Amino acid sequence: MNIANLSISEISNLYKNKELKPSEVYKEVFTNASLSESIIHAHLKLFQDEATEASKLSDERYAKGNPLSDIDGIPIAIKDNINLKNHETTCSSKMLSNYVSPYDATVITKLRNNGVVFTGKTNLDEFAMGSSTENSAFGPTKNPWNPEHVPGGSSGGSAAVVSVGSAIASLGSDTGGSIRQPASFCGVVGFKPTYGTVSRYGLVAFASSLDQIGPITNSVEDAKILYNSIKGHDPLDATSIKESTVEIPTDKNAKIGVIKELMEEGISDESKKEVEKTIKLLEENGNKVVEVSLPLTKMALSIYYLIAPAECSANLSRFDGVRYGIREAGATSYEMMENTRAEGFGEEVKKRILLGTYALSAGYYDAYYGQALKARSAITKDFENIFKEVDYLISPTTPTPAFKFGEKTENPLEMYMSDLCTIPANLAGIPAISIPTGLSKEDMPLSIQLMSPARTDSSLLEFSETIEKLLGFNQRTLLLEDMK
Amino acid sequence: MKKDIDIKSVAKLAAIKLTDADEKKFEKDLNIILEHVDALSKMNIEDEEINIHPLGEKLNLREDVSSEFLTHDEAMSNSPETEDGHFVVPPSLD
Repeated sequence: MNIANLSISEISNLYKNKELKPSEVYKEVFTNASLSESIIHAHLKLFQDEATEASKLSDERYAKGNPLSDIDGIPIAIKDNINLKNHETTCSSKMLSNYVSPYDATVITKLRNNGVVFTGKTNLDEFAMGSSTENSAFGPTKNPWNPEHVPGGSSGGSAAVVSVGSAIASLGSDTGGSIRQPASFCGVVGFKPTYGTVSRYGLVAFASSLDQIGPITNSVEDAKILYNSIKGHDPLDATSIKESTVEIPTDKNAKIGVIKELMEEGISDESKKEVEKTIKLLEENGNKVVEVSLPLTKMALSIYYLIAPAECSANLSRFDGVRYGIREAGATSYEMMENTRAEGFGEEVKKRILLGTYALSAGYYDAYYGQALKARSAITKDFENIFKEVDYLISPTTPTPAFKFGEKTENPLEMYMSDLCTIPANLAGIPAISIPTGLSKEDMPLSIQLMSPARTDSSLLEFSETIEKLLGFNQRTLLLEDMK
Repeated sequence: MKKDIDIKSVAKLAAIKLTDADEKKFEKDLNIILEHVDALSKMNIEDEEINIHPLGEKLNLREDVSSEFLTHDEAMSNSPETEDGHFVVPPSLD
């Protein structure tokens, strides 16, 4: 039995039936980490000693028949832009290479209270800006399916650890696709919830109106379990929404729209075929599938690359060498800040700060940032109107399967295009999930993306479970099987 | 709308010291991106509202009451330089 491929509910049941102990599962995931890290470099830190000790307390709780929850003793890895008390939170940046968090993010508090023991912190593109983890100041993560390929990003580490079994599940953050795109590239499930349903308190902010924390897991059921453990209104996050769940059909009465613009030019045939395959299965299941048009999705990339850099330039102004992070000397405070930021930030982060600063500067604010916000409202309305006709929208998660290292680093737009299908959901604040569907000619994972109206997260997850069953694809990377 | 970017003044506003090579590279990359996003200027969306919360929700602010959180020392524990509970910085003027 390969423990790392079991679902959370399977592991939980084995714990309750006293057929397996949490400490045994932790031992297994750390063995997987020790075998895989030298190849894929998915972790920035492993908490092996601390987690091994803490897992024994979980053993005791199960022995007494008194676990804290159904996820007590489930090994979960955390993207290194989420604060975990007394641990480093580097955001894969030289700027925060010495930062030790004095507090827990709300999602961490919730998981701790449920008995989760964290396995480590995972690699990302610096400050979550990127689609390949090539922007990590500490070196890239490799794709466990083929280390010549990128794992996607920015949550590349979080997707790779689940794929390779050095954690049972992980948390990532998604600003323009940073959970779904790496999940797609690594053959696992990635879920971005409705904006505001999961607290952002303790997540290092990149673009506050787009950022959302969510789970990366082996199955939709696991994503549902983890989402239910971290969601909920949080007074510490002013953008957190009061819970109001909206239900939509999750059976054969569910009507699905295929977004025409995300099945056209720029999308590979392999990615399109996975959508077509899923549509066929849905139709056989009795679901109605229609083509819909969302012309403004063509503008999504432009809207995103004004709003996200603008918000990032404001959020990252806090890194000034005064309160936290590194400091480079300078004769005046301003010179010290200029030098600190030149030394601490990598190229992509500087580029986005500069772009955002320009878009927010006097004379350009209305034309760039203001116009982008209005365009965002227009695209959101288009989604609301489409959702009067259909319950769900389907598209590829990514235009292509995982690309090779260095393939998209020359022209910034080339890399940005890999988020073409995922960005619209962030702009509209709606939930979206990436579900693995099969393998490409090169044996790299493929997937589909499913989106639904705001606040219908539970229905989306339930319907996604149906789709996952219809697809019947649950192959995992063989990286470790070959090594053991 | 698109105008060529004055990279030196933007870098000054962003407080990031750039080398000559950086300036050249960023100027090129930013112009590629600005060329792309210029498509927005042709959209007829004058009447659209601006929402800060993507769902159009109001921000949920807390009661303005004090509560236990970080101690003074904890809050300053990551600073590169402190003295007697204060942040230390170089002079503001030469």
